[in-house]
Amino acid sequence: MNLLESIPEQLGSTEPWVEKGGVHWLTPGAMTVRELAQAMNALHARFITITAYQLPKDEGFRLEYHWDLDGQLLGFPFLLAGNSIDSIYDLCEAVDWIEREIHEGFAIDFLGREYEPLLLRQGDKPGVNLREEKK
Amino acid sequence: MSYKIPMGPYHPALEEPYKLDMICEGETVIDANLHIGFNFRGIEHLAETRNYIQVIALMERVCGICSNIHTLTLCQAMEQLTGLNPPPRAQYIRVVVAELERLHSHVLWAGIAAKLMGFKTMFMTCFELREKVMDVLQAISGNRVNYSMNRIGGVNRDIDDPLAVLAMVEQLEREMVRTVIPIFTTSTTATSRCAGIGVLTREKAISCGVVGPTARASGLPQDLRRAAPYAAYAEMEFDVPVQQSGDVKARLLVRALEIIESCRILRQALTKMPPGELSTGDEKIVFTTGTATSRVEAPRGEVMYSVSWREGSRNPSRVHVRTPTFTNMPAVRWMVRGARLADTPLIQASIDPCYSCTDR
Repeated sequence: MNLLESIPEQLGSTEPWVEKGGVHWLTPGAMTVRELAQAMNALHARFITITAYQLPKDEGFRLEYHWDLDGQLLGFPFLLAGNSIDSIYDLCEAVDWIEREIHEGFAIDFLGREYEPLLLRQGDKPGVNLREEKK
Repeated sequence: MSYKIPMGPYHPALEEPYKLDMICEGETVIDANLHIGFNFRGIEHLAETRNYIQVIALMERVCGICSNIHTLTLCQAMEQLTGLNPPPRAQYIRVVVAELERLHSHVLWAGIAAKLMGFKTMFMTCFELREKVMDVLQAISGNRVNYSMNRIGGVNRDIDDPLAVLAMVEQLEREMVRTVIPIFTTSTTATSRCAGIGVLTREKAISCGVVGPTARASGLPQDLRRAAPYAAYAEMEFDVPVQQSGDVKARLLVRALEIIESCRILRQALTKMPPGELSTGDEKIVFTTGTATSRVEAPRGEVMYSVSWREGSRNPSRVHVRTPTFTNMPAVRWMVRGARLADTPLIQASIDPCYSCTDR
């Protein structure tokens, strides 16, 4: 069993990896994003980015967390019914700017951290860039 | 007593606007905060309003230096969604243009670094060489900045005479090996100005997730051309230069050595270029519903595109761009801590920052 194959078991996931669109995807199941970040740290995986998607109607958001493990791109999707998810900034320093950018672009709150403005100028409010107002 | 000194958003050391607020005690920087977004263009949102031809032209304008890399990454992602595989010749041409762009970027950076060192004659030499690299790119593409080389399923233009381009590249290589590289690697002026300043330790480089030459100068041998080869890189032999000291000198050395490696890759790609088609043709391009992700090793480090499409839609539903400077820039805070104020322009420039990319 190689390192990649051993990850679902380490994360307590019963789902297999699905390779699609250039990414090895694993559905995190009951695992929280903080547990995932701790597991990725233990594997010495390199954090790459978070991609945020606003879902249709009032379905909330999908955040896709990406890490690199020996050149393999790993992806973990998290669905947000509301506007918030735990921050992993204290576990993974590299997420700082992308959490701030998503907060400002989509008005998603990453709980447990403080923000300083990154892209926003005086008078702007979070959600000004990428969030679509639902009618 | 501490005091705050702002550098930027407009400053002679900054090619583009951003702001570094430094807390100083005497001449020593104690801490720093960075502010970006002065030229934020909302390109990710704009991309959702463009069709698959227009979005390539739009993404070519994310960056003025590595414009080709952005379209390459985008096209690779869109090729996954359309099931199109570029023919071998197109893959080789993609490598040639990508490596010429790396040369262009590294020589441009070397010139700016030389200027910030107070080494003006070297600045002139580097910019003269940069012109010659741009001449080669112009000979291939007809353009000097936005090359319009990539399309879904291949490239737009052929390299009719690879050996003529090779002759131009070899002349460039000779000049670089004769002037730029020895001066940057051995001259006291360059090395004494750069050694021991702006150190990013290996541990901090891992923690910040830095990429590209910034990571390789801190002892991390990561390079997507080697770890996850794309285009025709799997068929190229090259070394990944790594330095351990993590200072500005290490970043200078890594880029100088990468210039040599780029010439080595160019020589292989131009001599081994297979015959054949440039693209999969003009057949109708049909997107399947889904998300595709692509990564490439840009001159400044890893670029990643995530592209989402719904079948039957003219436009992408989402395009997310992760640029190398967006990842490397936060590390500047740690590089300038404890540095002399006078060194900070050179330190921030040593990551080869691109705010056009960051403020995409």
